[in-house]
Amino acid sequence: MSTRVVTLRPFVARVTNGFVWRSPLRAARLLFSFAHAEAASRVDLIVAAQLTPSPVRRALYVRHALDEARHAKVFSLRSAELRGKLGLAPLGFVRPDAEDLFERLGEVGFLAFVHRGEQRGRRQFESYREHFARAGDERMRALFDAVLVDERRHEEYTGTLLREVAGGERGARRALRAAAAWEAWRSWRRAGRALAGVAYRAAMGVLYVALAPLLLALRPALRERRRWLGPDAGGAGGGS
Amino acid sequence: MAAVLGVSAHYHDAAAALVVDGRIVAAMQEERFSRIKNDPSLPRRAARACLALGGIAAADLDAVVFYENPYAKLERVVVSLAREYPRSFRQFSPALGGQLGSKLWVLDQIADMLGVERRIVRFVEHHESHAACAFLCSPYADAAVLTVDGVGEAATTALWRGEGSALRCLGAIDFPHSLGLLYAAFTAYLGFEVNEGEYKVMGLAAHGQPRFREELARVLRLERDGSFTLEPKYFAHGTDTDVGFSPALETLLGPRRPPGRAFDLEADSDDRRCADVAASLQLATEEALLGLARAARERTGATALCLAGGVALNALANARLAREAGFERVFVPPAAGDAGGALGAALLGARDLGDPRPAALATAALGEPFDAGAAVDLARALGLAALPVPDASEAAAARIAAGKVVALCRGRFEFGPRALGQRSLLADATRAESRERLNRVIKQREPFRPFAPSVTAAAARAFFADAPNDMTPFMTTVCRTAPERAAALPAVVHVDGTARVQTVTAASAPDLEPILAAVGRETGVPVVLNTSLNGAGEPIVAGPVEALAFFLQHPVDALVIGDALIERSAS
Repeated sequence: MSTRVVTLRPFVARVTNGFVWRSPLRAARLLFSFAHAEAASRVDLIVAAQLTPSPVRRALYVRHALDEARHAKVFSLRSAELRGKLGLAPLGFVRPDAEDLFERLGEVGFLAFVHRGEQRGRRQFESYREHFARAGDERMRALFDAVLVDERRHEEYTGTLLREVAGGERGARRALRAAAAWEAWRSWRRAGRALAGVAYRAAMGVLYVALAPLLLALRPALRERRRWLGPDAGGAGGGS
Repeated sequence: MAAVLGVSAHYHDAAAALVVDGRIVAAMQEERFSRIKNDPSLPRRAARACLALGGIAAADLDAVVFYENPYAKLERVVVSLAREYPRSFRQFSPALGGQLGSKLWVLDQIADMLGVERRIVRFVEHHESHAACAFLCSPYADAAVLTVDGVGEAATTALWRGEGSALRCLGAIDFPHSLGLLYAAFTAYLGFEVNEGEYKVMGLAAHGQPRFREELARVLRLERDGSFTLEPKYFAHGTDTDVGFSPALETLLGPRRPPGRAFDLEADSDDRRCADVAASLQLATEEALLGLARAARERTGATALCLAGGVALNALANARLAREAGFERVFVPPAAGDAGGALGAALLGARDLGDPRPAALATAALGEPFDAGAAVDLARALGLAALPVPDASEAAAARIAAGKVVALCRGRFEFGPRALGQRSLLADATRAESRERLNRVIKQREPFRPFAPSVTAAAARAFFADAPNDMTPFMTTVCRTAPERAAALPAVVHVDGTARVQTVTAASAPDLEPILAAVGRETGVPVVLNTSLNGAGEPIVAGPVEALAFFLQHPVDALVIGDALIERSAS
């Protein structure tokens, strides 16, 4: 695919590498977030494999999903290892979420989205790999080297598939532009949601304080009810 | 005669269930499609699959019934926040946000999701859904029904009398006094994931001694009338729902176990302490349930007991209830948790529209059928040799008898958390190495966790005391292994001599029964190790994509897809 994904993330990664990776705690958190992202990607790809009409693409998505599962495991194990060295417990469980991307975007849009993500990820990981090579951290360099082999393959095959499914280079470019616009719109909405979340929490904080007289006055009447209550008292339904 | 869709969602384990003319047509959890374990989101794809199986369009539905009352739930959340004021500061914003931002509008969301008129979407109460799932699926015309879970609207526990198609609530215990929340808090304390690690706590319990019995008595007080109360100072239900327990619990029992750390019950004294805590918790839970069941027996006079709610998935406790509560028969449905609430809601909706009560549930295979043709096509595209075999059951049995691990995908997937022979991993129950290999290499789970046996119903009594019974077709109880047989079944008998048995007939598990029969012919022991076909942290396999992904990712020896076989060596 000749279209390059324009994104600031690899640049930001290059600039902030020294700061981000210096602290094992921060590094563990970042690796854990990669594990989370890879696990989510696995879920999206499995769902795409379920829904695509083509057995060939289904097989490619399955293979890709298995790579993502492996990456998630590698990142979460390394994160746990870094925290273990500090005597800290792992960060918890990797709980993937998914965005129903295939159903939302259709197969062409999904492929464009994944292709962009793989290209962005590859460039970001290349910057990390270079950082660790310079810093002489062979284990981390090797980790990113191993992941990069897969990322390059994913970028390559999603590009090829995208051209195939979108009906050629022009269709693929159009899909990539649409995916970029969709991502920008999603980022905008996420930012809006985050801002609304802050405003909501602030408003609820004020409300919580403002409700103090009422709630404190009501509290004696709201005492817990213990032991067996009548059929209508427990919200279990009066029966039918 | 009516078509009714039941829906559960927005907490965990979202599901949809379709009942047509009083007959259970389909019931499925959303996680099987979305591939997110315990997926709480609206069961869009599960609902679609149910309707497709029933051959009806959403517009043809007479009613859609949600499994709980969103308005009463909001009220409980508000009251709970007020009760804990001002300690509920951290919870106030997220708890109200969750309710007001989404959960309160669930009936509209369901109408939108299905494209049906809002007027046909209604709700029933949470515990009534559970009670209906247990009682209306049971083989009993008259029974006491106990529903025990974390929390529904306000109730955490309810006692019912079921007669014919009617359910009458006799009493309830309110939040925060909850056996489900007690178990969940200890699950978090022991370093497991809440709503996921409860089975691990149960497995761990058998490795410990209940030496914290007195401490647990301070946490959970049993009352003479069969009810119970939790001591609030040990919990944080209103202030920190992530863990659910307070620092006072750590003062009482020692520090919590960090999540994700590997277990070493032989060398690590702290892990042994955790096993003792688990054993004490299990004992306390069983005694609380026994108190509830004895009260149910006394108040209803019924000779049969039905049990549902998340706590009813505690197979160890269910076995004690069957032995000691004074009932002649006990039934627990395969999806006793919130997923089963969808089925209960659908059954209530159908009953209210005048439909008859369904026949007793004979099988948990209520999901989408396995598309063997698509699986073979995908296998070929993945470069795997999927070879048709004249008799897939015989082929699977021969490999199991030879010590191989076989993944089985045939028929409709199961409703509930157990693989019962449609999406199962099967291995030789007579070889101890089957258990080690499955635990450490294939499923990569804690080494202390047991595996369950499947046995033909006809041969069950020779191997397991108390089997078969009304629960064993669904693996919702444990049975003691006959002492002279325990040594012969090292892969499936737990350290305490029990096993979570599945008894199999051609009606309950049509694809597993011939395999067991064939294994019996080959080895003389019609028993196999049966565990769910899923990777660590993943939902059980549903269709061809996940089945083949599992095969590629895990070192099982063979995969049966419909009437074709894929072998590791050949692939």
